Amino acid sequence: MQKQSDLLWVEKYRPKKIADVTGNDEAKALFLDWLKNKKHTKKAVLLYGPPGVGKTTLVMAAASEYNFNVIEMNASDTRSEKAINAVAKPATSYTSLDSFSGAAKKAGGNVLFLDEVDGIAGNEDRGGVNAILKIVEESLVPVIMAANDPDVEKLRPLKKVCLLVRFHQVRIPLIIALLQKICRLEGVKAEFEALERIAQNSKGDVRSAINDLQSLSEENHRLTLQDTLTLSSRNKDVSFDDTLRGFFSAQSIADTSRLLSYSNVDYDDFLLSVADNLPKRYTDAAELAKAFDFVSKADVFRGRIGTENWHLLKYFFNCLAEASAVNPASYKPFTFITPPIRVITLFWTKGKRTTLDAICGKIGAQCHVSHQIAREQYVPYIRLILQKKPKSPLAAWFKFTPEEVNFLVTMGRF
Amino acid sequence: MATSEEALMWVEKYRPKTLDEVVGLKDIVESLKAFMKNPKTMPHLLFAGVPGTGKTTLALAIAHTLYGPNWKSFTLELNASDERGIDTVRDRIKDFSRYSRTGFGGDIPFALIILDECDQMTGPAQTALRRIMEVGSRTSRFILICNQSSKIIEPIQSRCAIFRFSRVDKQAMKEHLICIAKKEGYTLVPEAADRIVDFSEGDLRHAINSLQTASAYKEGVIDEKTVALVIGEASPMLVQKMIRKALYGDFMEARKTMYDIMGNFGFSGTEIIRQIQREIFKMSDLTAEQKAELSEVIGEYDFRLTEGANTDIQLSALLAQFAKFGKSIEESYAETK
Repeated sequence: MQKQSDLLWVEKYRPKKIADVTGNDEAKALFLDWLKNKKHTKKAVLLYGPPGVGKTTLVMAAASEYNFNVIEMNASDTRSEKAINAVAKPATSYTSLDSFSGAAKKAGGNVLFLDEVDGIAGNEDRGGVNAILKIVEESLVPVIMAANDPDVEKLRPLKKVCLLVRFHQVRIPLIIALLQKICRLEGVKAEFEALERIAQNSKGDVRSAINDLQSLSEENHRLTLQDTLTLSSRNKDVSFDDTLRGFFSAQSIADTSRLLSYSNVDYDDFLLSVADNLPKRYTDAAELAKAFDFVSKADVFRGRIGTENWHLLKYFFNCLAEASAVNPASYKPFTFITPPIRVITLFWTKGKRTTLDAICGKIGAQCHVSHQIAREQYVPYIRLILQKKPKSPLAAWFKFTPEEVNFLVTMGRF
Repeated sequence: MATSEEALMWVEKYRPKTLDEVVGLKDIVESLKAFMKNPKTMPHLLFAGVPGTGKTTLALAIAHTLYGPNWKSFTLELNASDERGIDTVRDRIKDFSRYSRTGFGGDIPFALIILDECDQMTGPAQTALRRIMEVGSRTSRFILICNQSSKIIEPIQSRCAIFRFSRVDKQAMKEHLICIAKKEGYTLVPEAADRIVDFSEGDLRHAINSLQTASAYKEGVIDEKTVALVIGEASPMLVQKMIRKALYGDFMEARKTMYDIMGNFGFSGTEIIRQIQREIFKMSDLTAEQKAELSEVIGEYDFRLTEGANTDIQLSALLAQFAKFGKSIEESYAETK
């Protein structure tokens, strides 16, 4: 039993029968059709589609069902012309003795399976594609290839000699059903929403969905939606909102730390959004003050990090994490304020700032004061004077342009 | 160019041109007059004191006295808070201080360099300045102006005659305001004058600006109501509105006001926090202890502001502290009842 539980669930539950392979029924039928048909119109088949949708699994399941030998080569092996010839040539040159003895039902013979052919590297695997082409041409046994991206330039010659079988992302309900089945077999008590989220997060990648399920539930055989919020990390592109949601609903500092250390969101944008949304998360004044204190400290660390002291990033994260867990119990879902308030209110002020600087410069020249004093003690008053007396000669005295006058008159009217 | 000849901002229009016209500041004026009798004996000067107490005015009056109407040709006026880097010191100040003006400025053998807001100068710039003051002392004199002399490095202080300016006397200020109003054809009601004096906290420049603004609201008589209106519409009031919102627990509104102040008036975080500090001390409904407590909190965030990356986050955090503080006051009231 020890051995069993050590297994990755992906391996443990890899389907042994073709029927058990989840989804992609069309592709399955097409492939099996080709496999069963002894007189191949094309000698090779190229299975292509996104990762984790069952290409390799289908080949293995077919092998065990039809009893043929799979001679496999994948990206981890070198696949220069020489290497391919060394392995694949003998395998394809002879049809199995069994196939002549009429025992073909039990032993389907050899099949050459080249996984991840789009991974054949340009330099290291020199001549690899040509070697494959040659083998396909000369082969006496079927050649199966799999690739994620068939549009790679170097695979173009291969596509001509292959039957192309396209795999799609597995549909979410199918993945959920599969996850439910695994949970049942493993004795995991899982909330449906949690499984749904894992499935959605996987973007149709069954393998990653199963891996996620295992990593999240193996320890205590329980899985809640909350657990899955921290998971976003491992996925390709977690939305900014998901990270925010995970942050604000975190149950502990550890939760948030995990979330943040994996997340790829832009730190600065994230910090702003956390600050923006904090008052919606903590409605109690004392809690808000405490949380904001941590966010303020996080911001201080962000300032210290600048552009080079990245070793301080962990402290930045720590402070943020503390802000997320001031009072986990008070969490109630809320709608986020996005985009950052600052972007909305201050974005357009850059042009204005230049105008204001020019105005302050002119005030400074006439009244012997710095920009700062001009802004604090003159602008608010001159603005009011010009609002009350639009024809005041003051504007001419300061040599304000009409735009500057207009700027002053309209400023502060919200 | 008549418009540029006569100043239209009252602060400039009524800025004393000579030392004799200066109201108050008797001791300082007397000492300066002594220097003026034999200008060659005038040392470098350092004027220190709170804003609006006449430092710049005296410096300009000295320039007038020394050079007459052509004072601008012999005076370099720099605002250190605008141009405070070492480059300014090395380039503009050094060049200006190097050449003697003998034969041009009458019998005054030196040029005058007025450096306003010196305490904003960086350390290296001050150090560079120290050398220039020594080497150029035959050809130039410096008048350094600052709010806090403690921010000026010792070697510079020791090269200067230091004059400290205290707040303008309230009564003198009131009379001065009424006098200006009269010259402009307005009647400033005494209560209104009191209001301006209180509001501007001894800052004459601020007071005169408020007065001029009030005059734009109404012809003839400037009463307390008009003054209150002006004070209310000038930006410091927005800061006060923001503080009140926060103290009454409406954090969201307070923060919105903060962004308004930043967005519409172009204030930086540091400027806002300084105004917050100022406004807190003006608030009559807080006890001295409460003000001290808040001040401590403000100080902490003021410091973080200089270290942090986002001033608006630091200000928000400060407002959150205010909200918490406001709530605790409320609760303690409830308990006593």
